Amino acid sequence: MTTDQDYVRHLSDAQVSVELETQDMTLNIGPQHPSTHGVLRLVAHVDGERCYDVKPVIGYMHRGYEKLSEVRTYPQITALINRIDWVSGYANEIPFIVAAEKLMEIEVPERAQYIRLILTEMARISSHLIFMASYPLELGAATPLFFALRDRERILDLIESVTGGRFHPNFNRIGGVRPNAGAGTTQKKVFQDLPAGFLAQTRDAMDIVLASVDELETLVAGNEIILARTKGIGVLPPEVAAAYGVSGPNLRASGVKFDLRKIEDYLPYDKFEFDIPVGKNGDCWDRWWVRLTEIRQSARIIQQAIDSIPSGALQAKVPKIIKVPKGETYVRAENPKGEMGYYLVSDGGLGPYRLKIRSASFSNISILPWILEGALVPDLIAIMGSLDFVLGDVDR
Amino acid sequence: MSVTSSPSETETTTHPLQEFADRVAEVVGGSAAITFDTVKITVGSEDWVSAHTAARDDLDLVFFSWLSAVDWANEVEAGDALSDEVEERIELLTTVADLTEGHRVTFSTDLTKDSPSIASLVGVYAGANWHEREAGEMFGIEFVGHPNPVHIYLPESFIGNPLRKSYPLLSREVKPWPGDVDVEPMPDSDEPSTENPGA
Repeated sequence: MTTDQDYVRHLSDAQVSVELETQDMTLNIGPQHPSTHGVLRLVAHVDGERCYDVKPVIGYMHRGYEKLSEVRTYPQITALINRIDWVSGYANEIPFIVAAEKLMEIEVPERAQYIRLILTEMARISSHLIFMASYPLELGAATPLFFALRDRERILDLIESVTGGRFHPNFNRIGGVRPNAGAGTTQKKVFQDLPAGFLAQTRDAMDIVLASVDELETLVAGNEIILARTKGIGVLPPEVAAAYGVSGPNLRASGVKFDLRKIEDYLPYDKFEFDIPVGKNGDCWDRWWVRLTEIRQSARIIQQAIDSIPSGALQAKVPKIIKVPKGETYVRAENPKGEMGYYLVSDGGLGPYRLKIRSASFSNISILPWILEGALVPDLIAIMGSLDFVLGDVDR
Repeated sequence: MSVTSSPSETETTTHPLQEFADRVAEVVGGSAAITFDTVKITVGSEDWVSAHTAARDDLDLVFFSWLSAVDWANEVEAGDALSDEVEERIELLTTVADLTEGHRVTFSTDLTKDSPSIASLVGVYAGANWHEREAGEMFGIEFVGHPNPVHIYLPESFIGNPLRKSYPLLSREVKPWPGDVDVEPMPDSDEPSTENPGA
């Protein structure tokens, strides 16, 4: 070995230990930006290619639903809370309705509970399909969008056939559900049930969704650029996620096997078999994979529910004018975005005395300053998109 | 199918959550009550942080769900007034949960209405940060030791605390809510009574 070679090796081993004095730059993203899913503004300090001290600015869509609920009657409130997370509007209604029913001590007919469960899982599929469409798009892959939206349309058509609404079904009544067949008629006592063929069509649609999920998986999991941009990026450890209240698929991607459908009794999930998909690393890729797998599980639940749906009434006997007795309770549910709950304080009146809305996305994006600290600027969108939030669910 | 007229659960048999509620009350040092499957632990405002620390460390309630408040007021500007007179106060609430058994606990403490102030929970649960900012602007609560006590939803120049019962809903002041007609019996109703026939 000659001296020259030694010298060259020595130079290549040398490490630069000097802190580079670079100028700080403030990068503003939003409130109008296609990847923010609404009106979220981020103010990031950028040092070279890394972000520090990222500050999310929210409240551009604050509609004051908690105050409005205090001046509305119970049946009117479902119309408001549909609009919290509009990507899965139907699922928002469930915990509120269940909380009111709990205080009224109403037992909901089993068929109505099954219909609620089927529609909630359809809302979950449509919400996750939006994520399947938008997330690869944010990373530069446009094709999955068309596949996912095509199947979401199928689900929305079915939801519309029962509820009359695509995004804001406003379908639950205290004590049961009210299909639109026969609604608006002046005739009394029209028999109301699901539209003919709905169950069979939904069952078929689930087969199509399952096949399409396989397609989506091939499209995305086989895309090396997406893998490189998501694996190992934005790692969220489970203990940090829990302390920030991050819930739902984001929490499960971090390896926590926790699903409120297995724990709470707001809908009869204990009658069906389904698995809880859990991620390994808590990175962006796991968050994508958990949602993809949850679509399969939801389709599985829906098919089981359709096969075993009992016949019977859709509505329990309730007073014409809903008055919820004095009391307070917290009811939480596993919504597509995570834990959604309502703390309902009733004084026995026509509307709540106080309604605290615990929405999933608010806590889910409160992790942004933590998870984006020191992240590369190009990863910012990849990390933000993987959390799957909706600004209506953040601001309420 | 049946609707009972009883306003609260009658505690003739022990609630399945009673044992857990008693254990939490013992560990954190508060009094337990179970209302409609919700375990509610009332603690003194000076024990607020220590109760949450004990809940996190000794009871494994690591998941921070939410923090908010209820304004108990005898006079309201918006919404319906309470049927019975209450002690005027701000009730601060949090809910924390575990990620294994499915237990959840709602903590409650009372604050004075004039200058509600309490120690911040950010050091115990990092997620309390945004929730305390929200409760701070909506109810006018001061969280002592909060790292960034600025508005979260409202503009910094906003005056007032909208979720206080003394805060009027301005749109309602200008125009009465048309939905008020819904509380009258329907014209073609064959059940004019407002009472529940099934009770």
